[in-house]
Amino acid sequence: MSGPLSQTDRRGIDPALGALIGEAAGMRLADRPADGVRTTTPRALPVLSEPDPTYYDLPPIKPPVWVWAVPAYFFVGGVAGAASVLSGACQLLAPRRAEGLVRRARQLALAGDVAGSALLVYDLGRPSRFLHMLRVLRPTSPMSVGSWLLAGSGAANTAAVLLGGRPGLAGRLGGAAGLLAAGLGGPLAGYTGVLLAHTVVPLWSAGHRALPPLFVASAAGSAGWALALLAPPGPGRQIARRLAVGGTAAELVLGRAWERTVGRVPRVARPLRAGRAARLWRGSQVLAAGALLGAGLAVLAARRAASRSGRGGSRGSGAVVQGVASALGLLGSLALRWAVFQGGRDSAQDARATFHLQRARSGGAA
Amino acid sequence: MSQKGFFTDTTVCIGCKACEVACKQWNQLPADGYELSALSYDNTRQLGASTWRHVSFMERAAPGGGGAADGLAWLMSSDVCKHCARAGCLEACPTGAIIRTEHDSVYVQPDVCNGCGYCVVSCPFGVIDRREDDGRAWKCTLCYDRLQDGLEPACAKACPTDSIQFGPLDLLRWRARERLAEVQAGGQPQAHLYGADPDRQPGTGGLNAFFLLADRPELYNLPPDPQAPSVHAGASWGSMALAAIGLAGAALGLAAWEAGA
Repeated sequence: MSGPLSQTDRRGIDPALGALIGEAAGMRLADRPADGVRTTTPRALPVLSEPDPTYYDLPPIKPPVWVWAVPAYFFVGGVAGAASVLSGACQLLAPRRAEGLVRRARQLALAGDVAGSALLVYDLGRPSRFLHMLRVLRPTSPMSVGSWLLAGSGAANTAAVLLGGRPGLAGRLGGAAGLLAAGLGGPLAGYTGVLLAHTVVPLWSAGHRALPPLFVASAAGSAGWALALLAPPGPGRQIARRLAVGGTAAELVLGRAWERTVGRVPRVARPLRAGRAARLWRGSQVLAAGALLGAGLAVLAARRAASRSGRGGSRGSGAVVQGVASALGLLGSLALRWAVFQGGRDSAQDARATFHLQRARSGGAA
Repeated sequence: MSQKGFFTDTTVCIGCKACEVACKQWNQLPADGYELSALSYDNTRQLGASTWRHVSFMERAAPGGGGAADGLAWLMSSDVCKHCARAGCLEACPTGAIIRTEHDSVYVQPDVCNGCGYCVVSCPFGVIDRREDDGRAWKCTLCYDRLQDGLEPACAKACPTDSIQFGPLDLLRWRARERLAEVQAGGQPQAHLYGADPDRQPGTGGLNAFFLLADRPELYNLPPDPQAPSVHAGASWGSMALAAIGLAGAALGLAAWEAGA
C-alpha cells in the first residue's frame, strides 16, 4: 500500500487485518485512483451583519438526483393517462363513431405505459430492484401511489388492447379493462405534479396546488395532439383535435397561474426569469401558442376547401398545417415538463430560495 | 424501548471533527477525497451519502466582546441526520426501505433501497443522498448496530467536550432547557433550542437530534421552518383530483358532442 489509503478501497482497512462489517462496508465504490490533495481558490467569506446570510451559499437541501428520463416520463406518462381517459369516454358515449379512436388511444396508452416504465427503471440507482416499488403501498408517498397506478394502468391497457373489440366475453372483459384504465388515467396524468409538489425543492413546493392541474392540462393537450396524428381519419381525429386545443389552452392559462403562484416569493421563481429553465419555459408557451394558431389555420383551410369543392378538407395543405400544429403542441408539452424540472434543479441549488420561502411562510422556528 | 437521540450543544463545540472521524471509522465509510474547500475549516461542506457527520464553521463577531484579537469567533456545530419525528424521507420512500426503529430513529435498509432518489428531495435538511457509484441512498443510522449492544453512537463517544450528548429524549430535553438558561444568562440572548419542541417546529414534529444554537439557523445551514413535504398532501392531491375529474368531464363532453353530431 502506497500512502494512507489504498488505490481502490478508500476505507484505509487492510483486509488481512480488519473485517468489513460496518454499516457502510457494503457500499460499492467506483474504481478510482487515490486522490491527491486538491485545493479551491479562496473567496470572500460572507459578512454576517447582512440581513440575508447563507452558509457560504451552500444549499441547505439536496438537488434532485434524477436524470433526463424523469421529465421524459412526465411527458410520456401524461400522454398515456390522458389517452386512456379519452378512450374510455368515447367507448361509453360514441362507441361507433369513434371506434378507431378508442382502439388507437388504447394502443397509445399501452405504449406510453411500457415506455414510461422503462424510463423510470432506467433512472433507478439499482434498476435490477425495480420490483421493490411494489413491496409496499405508502399513501404518504406520491411515488408509491404512482408506481401502483402505472402498474395497474399497464395491466388494464394490456387487457384492453388484447381483448377489446373481440366478440363475446373477451370483448366485454376488454371493454371493462378499458374503463378501468380510463379511471386510472386521470390520476396517472396528474400524480406527477403531486410528486414534485411533495418535495422540499422551493420552486416545486411553492406552487403545490397549481402544479398538478397544470400537468393534467398539458397531458390532455399532448394526448390530443398525438391522437390527431395517429388516429384513423374520421370523427375520432376531430375529437382528438378538440381535446388538444382545449388542453393546450388550459395549459397556457394554468401555466400563467402557476408562475404567478410561485412568484409570490420572488427568489423562488428566479429560475423562470433567467437561465436555461426560463428559456425552456418561454419556449413552451411559444410552442403552445403556435400549436393553437396552427390548429386554427387548419380549420380555416378546411372550411375554405369544403366551401370551394364541397368535400371535407382533410387532404392537402390543411393536413400539413394540422401535422405541424400537432408537432408544436407535443414539443411544447415536453418543453414545459423540462422547464419545470430544470427550474426545480436550479431552485434547489439556491440557498436563499429555501430561506426566503420559509421565512415568508412563518417567520422561522426555533 | 425509549426514544433516543442527540442533544448537540454547539456552544461547547471546539471544531475538532472527532465526530466526523469516529463516524467514518466505525461505519467503514469511504474517504471523500482530500479537498481543501477554502470555506474556513469546513472541508466536508455538507452531509452526504458517505459523510454522516459534518462540522460547520462560520466566523462572526464574538459575543460579549471576547474572541480573538480581531474580535472574531466561530459558530461551530456538528451536523447530523435529525431523525425527525415526522420524517420526510420515511414518508417518501416507495419501497419501504426507510423504517423507524425501536429506538425511534430513522434507518435506511440498504438491501431494500433501489435508488429512486425520492428521499433525497424530501429531506428538509439535505441529509440523505444517493451515492452515484453504489446507486442506493445512505445516511446516519444512529449507530443502530452499536445501540443493539447497549453502546452509545460513535460520535457521541468520541466527542471530547460532550457537545454531542446521547440518551433518552426526555432527559436530553431537560438538560437542554437548563443549559439554554445558562447560555442566555451568560451573554448570548439570541441562543435558542432548534427542534427540541414539536410545537415550535410543527413541520417535522420535533427532532430526535436537536440543537442548542447560538445564532440564526441560516448561519448553520439549517432551514428556519423545515417541513416534511407531506404537509401539503391534502391540498395537492385534492387539486389533482379536481383536475382529473375535469379531464374526465371534458372527454365525456367531447364524446357526447360528436355522438350527437
